[in-house]
Amino acid sequence: MKLTNNWRGWLLWLISGLWFLQLIWLAWYYAPDVQDMAWRVASRRTGPAIRQEDPFYLWTLTLAAVIPPRDTYIFLDNYEAGKEIEARYHLIPRKHVLLPPAAPPSFLFHALRQEKASYLVIREGDKAWSSADAAAESAAFLLLPVPGQGLVFQVDYERLLGRFYD
Amino acid sequence: MSGSWGDSMIETALTLLRFLLGLGGVFLLGYACFALLVPNPREFRVLESLCLSFGIGAVGLTLWMLFLSWWGLAFSLILSLAPPLAAAFLALAVKKLVRKRSGRPESYLPAAPPPPPVPFRVWDWVFIGLLAALFLFAYFRAVIYPIWAWDAIATWGCKAKLFYQSRAMDLTCIEAHNYYPNLVPLLLSYLYFCLGEVNDHLAQGLFPLWGALLLGMLYSFLRRMGLNRTQALGITAFFALNGTVFISHLFIAYADLPLAYFALAAVGLVYLWLLDAAPLGALALAAPFFAGLAWCKYEGPPLAGTILLAAFLSLVWLRPPDWKTRFLKLGIPVLGLAAGFLPWRLFAAFSHLEMGADHVRNLYPHQFLESIPYLLRALIDPFFFGLLWPAAALALLFSGRGLWRSPRLFPALFVGGNLLAVLVAYAVAPTSAAEFDMYVRATIDRLLLHITPVVALLVGEGMKEVREVDHKTV
Repeated sequence: MKLTNNWRGWLLWLISGLWFLQLIWLAWYYAPDVQDMAWRVASRRTGPAIRQEDPFYLWTLTLAAVIPPRDTYIFLDNYEAGKEIEARYHLIPRKHVLLPPAAPPSFLFHALRQEKASYLVIREGDKAWSSADAAAESAAFLLLPVPGQGLVFQVDYERLLGRFYD
Repeated sequence: MSGSWGDSMIETALTLLRFLLGLGGVFLLGYACFALLVPNPREFRVLESLCLSFGIGAVGLTLWMLFLSWWGLAFSLILSLAPPLAAAFLALAVKKLVRKRSGRPESYLPAAPPPPPVPFRVWDWVFIGLLAALFLFAYFRAVIYPIWAWDAIATWGCKAKLFYQSRAMDLTCIEAHNYYPNLVPLLLSYLYFCLGEVNDHLAQGLFPLWGALLLGMLYSFLRRMGLNRTQALGITAFFALNGTVFISHLFIAYADLPLAYFALAAVGLVYLWLLDAAPLGALALAAPFFAGLAWCKYEGPPLAGTILLAAFLSLVWLRPPDWKTRFLKLGIPVLGLAAGFLPWRLFAAFSHLEMGADHVRNLYPHQFLESIPYLLRALIDPFFFGLLWPAAALALLFSGRGLWRSPRLFPALFVGGNLLAVLVAYAVAPTSAAEFDMYVRATIDRLLLHITPVVALLVGEGMKEVREVDHKTV
């Protein structure tokens, strides 16, 4: 075997060596996952039990008990937070409409009327949103005593004029 | 205490059995269609038949569910599975009868004699062991945790849950992405019908299976390309255990892994056909995979288009003696593409669904240029695909001028064309300058995953070059 003729073979061995290092890195990278999986299997905390550990999931369960399955709700949240997609997933088949929490009250009222939404859910109820303040002051909204992090209003959308500039 | 634990174990075992039977139904339907499409199914290895059958079954079953919804019939396990299964086996019986009458029963068709069994080498066991360890991890990683990844929650799993609960393709309560094709959600909802509940952690077991089938297919194609068992296993393990993208897609319930599976099947079968290494009926067999591309994800039809374009250009450039006939034969996969593309488009049109206006609105040339460094970085960053893309670049380098004189031009054109298509996709993406970085980072690995299994075929070709040089040197 001549070295000059067999440089491709040497290259193959070089790539194989680098791949071996890659395998070690992959094992290190996924080791925490394996550890968590082993702990969950040993403690029988798998599948649905994992969801029970999430306070947001528990809150959506209370929402599901309040909002009837055929009703529409407006969910006031930032899309980037990734929580509204979870809420939509858990609250199916209720119709879900997302609005940003910074939406002006006029637009929120317009959307509630247009979508015939019977509920308004504000995930970050502890923050100061102009829409939340407007809802709290309007007679068309009833704040429900739902325990959890957010605010839930029952809405009588027919009482809202729903004009964009009202 | 022990009684309730025993009951729980029995319940778990029954649930798992229902899940496996559900998957078995897809395999059975797929195998019946597979046996219909090819003149002699015995030309295929068992592994090959299994890997191809599942994809065909998934396409057939979910398209049937689409038609059920169109006709206003509520989904149920029996209605979803029994009619297509009965129709496929009836058609298979008719085919056998016709063949018998014409004096050409399948058992008498000339089939290649089975090669003498080759004992497994140490390296075979090493590669098999690595793949087994990967799938042990991926399967448990998938089924222990409920659906959690972004698109799985937002789109695929969400729709599957809705379709199961409403027993129809009811999209009235979803506003975002309701125009996306529905192969994956419908298949998941079918599994929910088999399980009798929305069990989204067990249903995620579908994805490691899909990954395993992709690898089985990759291995089979590499064998047909002339690699020996050790080499084919080595390339398969090299593809699977390189970077994190493929591994993470084994357990995150995205449609990108099934799309990569359909892309590999479509490219692999067309490539073998161009190499004259394909079994009889390869193009007819490719047709359902072209349908799967269109019916699986929004990016599928452009992928299918690049496969057809690359095949057309390869034929025109290489000019094999029968290139005109071959060109006409490419119409078969085009029919498959139409079969996967049109039903959903027509359904969406009749349902007044808006189709994808958020993806393509304008051309932003500066985004084309801005995305080039992202793409190059993703190709060489070990975190994404490890050494696979650099190895493929070396394999192409090994080919030298031979690339322009062999059908290897076809996968090279497909990959090159798709890299260009990725840049074009970013050039038409309506994102703000502030969001562009995040948008590219969130999508580039997935777009590359769709074509990366084909890149592994190119690495396989490079491996052949090394072996040939070794043989000449020795």
